[in-house]
Amino acid sequence: MIRMITTRLASSSLSIVILVTLVFVMAHLTPGGPAYSILGMKATASSVAQLNARLGLDAPLWKQYAIWWWHLLHGQLGYSYLLNRPVGQLLWQYERNTLVFYISAIVISTALSIGLGLLQGVYYGRWPAKLIGALQLGFYALPPFFVAAMLVLWFAVQLPLFPASGITDLRAVHPSIGSYIAHLALPVTTITLLTVASLSRYFGEAVREELGKDYVRTAMAKGVRFPSILFGHVLRNALRPLVTMIGLSFPYIFTGGVIVESVFNYPGLGWLMWRSALSQDYPVLIAIVLIIGLLTVLGNLLADLVNGLLDPRASYE
Amino acid sequence: MSEQIIPAQGLPAAPLGRWVAWVTQRSTLVAGLAIAGLILFIGFVAPFLYPPDPFAIHPDHALQAPSWAFPLGTDELGRDELALLLSGGFATLVVALPAAAVAFVVGIAYGLTAGLGPAWADRVMMRLLDAILALPSLVILIFFASLVTLNNTSLILLLGLISWPGLARLVRNETRAQRGRDFVLAAEQLGGGRFYIARMHLVRVMAPVLVVNGTFMIGDSIFALSALSFLGLGVQPPQVSWGSLLESALDIIALDPWWLILPPGLLVFGALLAASLTGQGLLQRWGNGR
Repeated sequence: MIRMITTRLASSSLSIVILVTLVFVMAHLTPGGPAYSILGMKATASSVAQLNARLGLDAPLWKQYAIWWWHLLHGQLGYSYLLNRPVGQLLWQYERNTLVFYISAIVISTALSIGLGLLQGVYYGRWPAKLIGALQLGFYALPPFFVAAMLVLWFAVQLPLFPASGITDLRAVHPSIGSYIAHLALPVTTITLLTVASLSRYFGEAVREELGKDYVRTAMAKGVRFPSILFGHVLRNALRPLVTMIGLSFPYIFTGGVIVESVFNYPGLGWLMWRSALSQDYPVLIAIVLIIGLLTVLGNLLADLVNGLLDPRASYE
Repeated sequence: MSEQIIPAQGLPAAPLGRWVAWVTQRSTLVAGLAIAGLILFIGFVAPFLYPPDPFAIHPDHALQAPSWAFPLGTDELGRDELALLLSGGFATLVVALPAAAVAFVVGIAYGLTAGLGPAWADRVMMRLLDAILALPSLVILIFFASLVTLNNTSLILLLGLISWPGLARLVRNETRAQRGRDFVLAAEQLGGGRFYIARMHLVRVMAPVLVVNGTFMIGDSIFALSALSFLGLGVQPPQVSWGSLLESALDIIALDPWWLILPPGLLVFGALLAASLTGQGLLQRWGNGR
């Protein structure tokens, strides 16, 4: 188990180092650069040179790269050019919002997927399963920006039930917890609708497969009641692939997350990435790439660990 | 998303009648192909059938709901929304389809090279692949789109050169699996070179996997381009695309312009649904054996 974790961590960190190197080189080889974004396109050559010197952008590439790692090892990710704040501080603030957002969406969609998947597995071949299957195919193809836009149109504009953007009521000095929940409602619904489509399909397949196995037939023959077979044995065994799937789905959730956060102006990591991309704020962009890579790797690792707990056989593989 | 594993079996050689018979038996596939045909019609034929200029401004008719004069209404500048959608469809497809083709070719070439090459090359190439796959492709796209201003050619290249790793890994694994099989060994013994074997045997054996994944890749490419345009980093003004039309409608969403939001969203949805249904339909046909 511990050996598995160390090998996996070592190989993943290598991937991340390669990734960060690629991103760093790309960001620093492009013409123009952040000086023009900060000073405007009409900046004089001398003021650009001055700013580049101040930001350390006139040093050779390998030196900038070495300095970046040196600072990272000391826990510093640099300064945002535009917001003029330490990147680490920024990331912490935005990542907190993103985690609240994703975790609520993942919890709700897992619960829904388990319910739908069980129905689909039990009713395999009959109309409830076929209906669920058709809905899954449809929802799977829905682009997140369309879902988000329609939810805003229906539930914030035509029926003003929920706020259309932001994270809390701007007028309130001490926003209530209810205000946070109301602001999360539409973004979380968007991500949930999209995630449930693939998660429940995957779980439904797993349930169907488990129901066809010998131990289920044996239990039925012994007279064990169906609900206790379903919830006692099948559910637990079918959860294993679902856990893996949730761990692996992080990149897809983030893809939807960038779009949803931009629609709802929700100040999360995806929103920060989008804004930094539009204004070429490289220290922030590179740090976000690093964080996303880390989260992807950790998601996979966590899924394997939970699987080991659910099924001891998995950890010996 | 595009890493569906199905057994490689080779394409069946069938007379036209049998093809028609099995197409009609597969409602998923037929629905997918029908929607795909509709989307292609909207993107490539309809712009010639509907003459109004998408960029003509009618200030007196700004932000009007659908009417006889403007079948899908007008935007906040008074531009004909239907004409904009058709022009946006062309702009979307003319970038997304070639990009998918680029990714398809690069993915197959990379996968075959890694699968047939020496072990060290395979290890290096797969490590690079892992690094790229550690990030959602939209993140990489946003990053690159922020570095340079993109025109259509560079958009095709960027999208294409980012969307191949999933297919490459699949082709590489499939190549490794097929490599030790008797027919490949026999071909090697008879003096077939690597390139000959890849072209004559491996690609043919993998054809169903490639077709199914190629279909999914078209959907992924349309999605990626629309998402990027929606974020303001894809197709650049004065051109419009389905993603950017939706984005500009969102700026005035408080005015309840449903006719500016529903159609572009439905069109992207239709394109993605077409790719997904066609892919699933083919998968049902080839994935469950014959």
